Amino acid sequence: MMAFITPRRIRRARQSAGFLATVPTLIAFVVLACGGLATQVSAAEGDDAVTGVSADEHDVARTTAASLSPAPTPQREDYPSIGVSSRGIVWVIAQMHLFFGALVLAVPIFVLVIEIIGFRTGDDRYDDMAHEFMKVSLTAYAITALFGGTLALALFLLYPHLMSYLMTAFGSQVLVYAGLFFLESMLLYIYYYGWNALRYGNRKWLHLTLGLLLNGVGTTLLVVANSWTTFMMAPSGVDPETGAIVGNIWEVMKGPLWNPLNLHRVIANVAFGGAIVGAYAAFKFLSAKTPEEKAHYDWMGYSSNFISILAFLPLPFAGYWLMAEIYAYSQQMGILAMGGILAWLFVIQAVLICTILLAGNYYLWTGMARSEGADRYRWAIKYIATVLILGFLVWVTPHNVIYTTAEAVKLGGGNHPVLGPLGIMPAKNIAVFLMLICTFLSFQLYRRADKVITVSWQYWGNALMASIYIFAIVNIIFAGVYYGYFTNTVYKVGSSVIQVMSTVVVIVAGVVIDSLMFRGAKTLHVSWGRVAERSQYALFALPIAFTWLMALMGYVRSSVRTHWHVYTVMPDKSADNFIPTLQTVGNMVTLVTLLFLAFLLFIFWIANLSGTRQLPVAEDARSQHAGAVT
Amino acid sequence: MTEIANEKKASRLVVWLLAIVVGLVIFYLLDHAVMGMQGLPLNWDLTPAQ
Repeated sequence: MMAFITPRRIRRARQSAGFLATVPTLIAFVVLACGGLATQVSAAEGDDAVTGVSADEHDVARTTAASLSPAPTPQREDYPSIGVSSRGIVWVIAQMHLFFGALVLAVPIFVLVIEIIGFRTGDDRYDDMAHEFMKVSLTAYAITALFGGTLALALFLLYPHLMSYLMTAFGSQVLVYAGLFFLESMLLYIYYYGWNALRYGNRKWLHLTLGLLLNGVGTTLLVVANSWTTFMMAPSGVDPETGAIVGNIWEVMKGPLWNPLNLHRVIANVAFGGAIVGAYAAFKFLSAKTPEEKAHYDWMGYSSNFISILAFLPLPFAGYWLMAEIYAYSQQMGILAMGGILAWLFVIQAVLICTILLAGNYYLWTGMARSEGADRYRWAIKYIATVLILGFLVWVTPHNVIYTTAEAVKLGGGNHPVLGPLGIMPAKNIAVFLMLICTFLSFQLYRRADKVITVSWQYWGNALMASIYIFAIVNIIFAGVYYGYFTNTVYKVGSSVIQVMSTVVVIVAGVVIDSLMFRGAKTLHVSWGRVAERSQYALFALPIAFTWLMALMGYVRSSVRTHWHVYTVMPDKSADNFIPTLQTVGNMVTLVTLLFLAFLLFIFWIANLSGTRQLPVAEDARSQHAGAVT
Repeated sequence: MTEIANEKKASRLVVWLLAIVVGLVIFYLLDHAVMGMQGLPLNWDLTPAQ
């Protein structure tokens, strides 16, 4: 009988038992999904009731809407004033809350993935790295909550009518949010502080389950908060004439922009979180005293950059979807964002995104020095750099500038005869997608640098990969130039999907072909810690550019509401109901960026302080004396 | 030796030609599929059909 109980069976039994620990999570997700589905069905029934075919039913719905409380319409004098711009106060606090919220919700996502990798490979380094990432997140968590509370107080103080309306719209959902926040806090603390207690065997399964629950609750928090934002931009479940809330909570939440924003924020948060912990790793690398420490933080920095750029690559697609939905919801909003005064901010966005891509690529190129096999691919760097620089120049070219009459006459019109065509979307799309492809190429070369491929079909695999790169690039340029400049607008807009899909094909093909080619590959030695210190400054550049970018584009997203608190149903009649000058925007965005970076340094310092231990006084004096003698 | 080298060169050429054909077909079909799905059909020479 005992012969049947082999170590393999015991391991399997343990794994099965461990898997059982994940059952509560699975049940929770099923319940949540069913709950969502049930609400969707009831919402669909609600749709039928409101948009019923018979005229009588329609009248009844209208009468019901009229009998409900309309959206408040406060006048200028109804807004409380504390002598400072209310918008300015809320702007700063909300942005700080969003920065920290993004960080604390994103870090556990990739920490869980790293923990799973560590569990599957049995390599403790992954576990240690994931734990250290969580340390940064945990320190930021309290600050997130503080800014969140302050934001709520500021909004209730300065915009009471708006908050009253939002409370009517979302009702008890806000209490669900508060409950989720409690749950998130408990899970976060158990997940972090229980790390070493639940590190091996079945206990690890429990820990992974906690991580999964933490992410489930965190992401739910995010999408709930997103529904408030998107309701203000594109309200649903309301009577369009009075602003009265006529739908149930699901109808109010599921506005047209909700899911695009959900996707965009989740991806952007991961990219942002990766960049922040990358800066932490760089900070620790530069202050490391031993080669072991340097090796650890070098590897941590590389992993962070990998997470950040990998999440960044699909971000333009999510942004494209969000912007397309904004256009579909309101052309006026879309044109204001990308064709009006706010379009200038997209030029600055281009500079920041190019900074991110250049920094990310530069880090990879310098990081190739760690591997002995990197020389085989170094020749490609100058070509990749050329494409990145050219892409940057095209992306940053504005369509038109405000000229004096003399300048316009000299130029022969409003647009530059040569550079003018580079100012519109087809040229910029070509630039963006080629830059993304080049960034992926840098990744691919980096991953290949420490490997000697041994599969028999490697020549065929390389030829296929090269062919996919060449035709993807040709296709992107062809779609941009031909459909963008020589066909009608409908085909021009539609062709950008060709460019998206061409880029996706390259990324998917690259991952699949490499995964197959790396089977049985010989791995060369990688010297972690053997990297130029200047590469670490690229890791500092990433969070700075990301933070600035989030502040800038967050402002654009919010500003397209113009003089509406809730677009088309609740007007903003406060003293700040206008789009500020670009100079004001630039100053505010820079202010919040600097403020966040200052807090970030504080967090790094605190995280570092927790690992510092003072020696007993006598021992300390002895060691100092010994140091003085030597 | 020269024959083996020539044979190797020829087989590599075949591999490259095949890879180019595969790449060309993938992206040609991709263009038709992506535009077709958006209700924007293309002619065989990739010009707009509408």
